[in-house]
Amino acid sequence: MAIDLVTGSTVFLGYAIITGALLVLAGLLLGLLRLSGRDVSSPLSTYRGWLIMIPIVLGTLLLGREATIAGVTLLAAFGFREFARATGLYEDWWMTGIVYLAIVALGAVSLMTDPRLGQPGWYGFFMALPTFVIALILLVPVLRNRAQGELQKVALAIFGFVYFGWMFMHLGFLANTANALGYLLFLVFAVEINDVAAFTFGKMFGKRKLREQISPNKTLAGSIGAIAVSLLLPWLLWFSFPHFSPALLILTGLIVGIGGQLGDLVISYIKRDIGIKDMGATIQGHGGILDRVDSMIFVAPIFFHMVRWFNGAG
Amino acid sequence: MNAWKYHPSPDIGTPVADRLQSFPREPGMLVYALRSIAAVLLRAWMRFYHRLRIDGRENLPTRRSYVMVCNHTSHLDTLCLLSAVALRSIHHCFPAAAADYFFTSLPRSAVSAILINALPFDRKAASARSLELCSRLLEDEGNILVLFPEGTRTTTGTTGRFRSGIGRLAAGNDLDIVPCHLEGGMRAWPKGKLWPRPHRLHLRIGRARNFRHLDTSAESVRAVCADLQECVSQLGGSRA
Repeated sequence: MAIDLVTGSTVFLGYAIITGALLVLAGLLLGLLRLSGRDVSSPLSTYRGWLIMIPIVLGTLLLGREATIAGVTLLAAFGFREFARATGLYEDWWMTGIVYLAIVALGAVSLMTDPRLGQPGWYGFFMALPTFVIALILLVPVLRNRAQGELQKVALAIFGFVYFGWMFMHLGFLANTANALGYLLFLVFAVEINDVAAFTFGKMFGKRKLREQISPNKTLAGSIGAIAVSLLLPWLLWFSFPHFSPALLILTGLIVGIGGQLGDLVISYIKRDIGIKDMGATIQGHGGILDRVDSMIFVAPIFFHMVRWFNGAG
Repeated sequence: MNAWKYHPSPDIGTPVADRLQSFPREPGMLVYALRSIAAVLLRAWMRFYHRLRIDGRENLPTRRSYVMVCNHTSHLDTLCLLSAVALRSIHHCFPAAAADYFFTSLPRSAVSAILINALPFDRKAASARSLELCSRLLEDEGNILVLFPEGTRTTTGTTGRFRSGIGRLAAGNDLDIVPCHLEGGMRAWPKGKLWPRPHRLHLRIGRARNFRHLDTSAESVRAVCADLQECVSQLGGSRA
């Protein structure tokens, strides 16, 4: 059920070749720019970050369902850690402790077999878990007999869990579907390309600001360019999900193109409200973990439910 | 409606490697959990592999901040002293570790900062600044500083001359200094060997000394160093 090794490996090979070629191309481009005397220290650092991240991501996906779910759980936990450190919630060990445990529980439920349906991943529990976690977080001030400033902590903890934990971890739950490798490889690839496209089109044609109060570097041209690229990608990478109808390809493109940018903008206004530039400095040239996975948070759950709605569990 | 006030961690923009090397560190739940697990495992290792015996635990102050000074025969010294303090104080127990040795690479820094909770001590260029860091640490209640005043591991087995740092820290200050002596460390893990051997260890903890009656002159500093060196040597049953 997990990952079909025969079709899986051809899909994997396809993505390995595409990302490899893109990396070589980007490397050559950077080398040429450097030879022509431009300062490429900042993009070079970002490039090095990619060189470390891509093998880790591809390797984890190739290891299969369990490794993928474990990897997404780890990313969610460390992502929430960045959010907690950025907002100051990290000083409250009760709240952060509950959210960490809840994220681990989400991972465990994703790994379990549905006891009634016998399918991998306990879907019902995964969807019901936020109810219990939110109830538990709300109980913390009651148990501690405290009121001053508790609403902010409760709200931050609930938001942190639902957004960085539950919504993001739909990506891990996708590993339970029959076409897992194709979906996951496509999503990771397309979301990152979407980011790169927004940046590139913005640099080349960008004049009018998209949302100047939130992120002054994003432009309307970048946004439109990214959506155009994202609409094109599912057609080019149709081999990732050969059973998709053209209508689903368009829908997929829209989810990645719009959802990816929304995720980016949400992290931007969170950072702006807190008053920080990056969520952390974990990945060389990329900022924190959340600065990298932000676009995936909207895309993963919506894509997951699209697949579930139109393809059943497949 | 008023805006929320956020308190981002002060080290939010610093890369992990730099964060490990900086001091004081921001407390984090993950780090505390790892350190607690490591401390329990360490105690088990010390107890069963080295059959560590600790005498004079009752001499450790309970409430106040204090300094433990010990002869330095091997890396086991720090681990023994960490095993001697109460388990709940390990997050407030800071062994001063040479920055030029324990904080040079990422894996070393990670072990030193996360598992040992080491304070990066610059024994060469900026020892004055490191000492100031130590005294600020001791101003807060309930902190423990572990110092090896010889500054380096012995290769002969005898306790070397105490350097002036501990004297400058203690002279004229109302600060408890607990002399300790570890026996067997050099035979269990000699300098240059990769792994320790299952040799017996014996840690003796002496009565706390206090030097608030002295002034801060160079002479007092020397007196403090000599006094503590004598205490440590006596605990070991020999005269320096």
